[in-house]
Amino acid sequence: MLGEVIRILAASIICWVLFVTVDILFKLPEKGGVSGAAAIGRQIRADGGDLLGGNMMGNIVSSPDASAGTLLASCGVFIAGIPGGLAAAALVFIGNRICHDPGYAGTTGAVLATFVVYGMTQVGFAASDFIAGTVIAILTIQGLFHIPASRVLGRLWRWRA
Amino acid sequence: MEGIEGQIPLILTAGIGLYAAIRIVAERRTLRKLPYLNVLSFAVAASVALLIPHPLALAAAAAYFVGSTLESNAIASAYAGGPERQ
Repeated sequence: MLGEVIRILAASIICWVLFVTVDILFKLPEKGGVSGAAAIGRQIRADGGDLLGGNMMGNIVSSPDASAGTLLASCGVFIAGIPGGLAAAALVFIGNRICHDPGYAGTTGAVLATFVVYGMTQVGFAASDFIAGTVIAILTIQGLFHIPASRVLGRLWRWRA
Repeated sequence: MEGIEGQIPLILTAGIGLYAAIRIVAERRTLRKLPYLNVLSFAVAASVALLIPHPLALAAAAAYFVGSTLESNAIASAYAGGPERQ
């Protein structure tokens, strides 16, 4: 049981690094992709947070991004291995188009996550560890403390720029 | 303790979903509710896939997640004044 908890925590760190890296490479903090995402960024800045980090959080809310891709790819690998993960990537691609998202962060994240999760299942992890890990990773960004989370994301974005 | 062996991912995702639901109710500003709603969508989609390991469950989880995301998108954009203000 302890081993499973440790695997889930390790998976959550891997997922966090994976989807934050992909989102930042796809410039999610730069601006709100839709007016609602920008509004969430402005609300977080008005409450004392970072505008750019807030934009990224708004973009994560408004369209399936790399974190959603990681989650659905993990679910896909859990259910049907690599084909399941790639099917999830196709569903994320359709979801992006439905949500008026012009970017490819979600699809890229899902394809990358498919191979990362499958690779980790070969070295003792279970795909279900990554499903729970992704939920924990998104919890740390969107569900615990918005203001410090936005500052961390803003700092990572400025470091990239 | 053997009973929960293998169920820990589901316990975590369901617990996080419950926590996110409480945060949504407790938060007063609508735009700040939406990130918690995002966490809830993640937790529900993850729980669906963990409970029902079937290819159609993957489609159901993705459809639920995309639908919920589109709703958040619409609510936030309506609060922002709609697309014409961009």
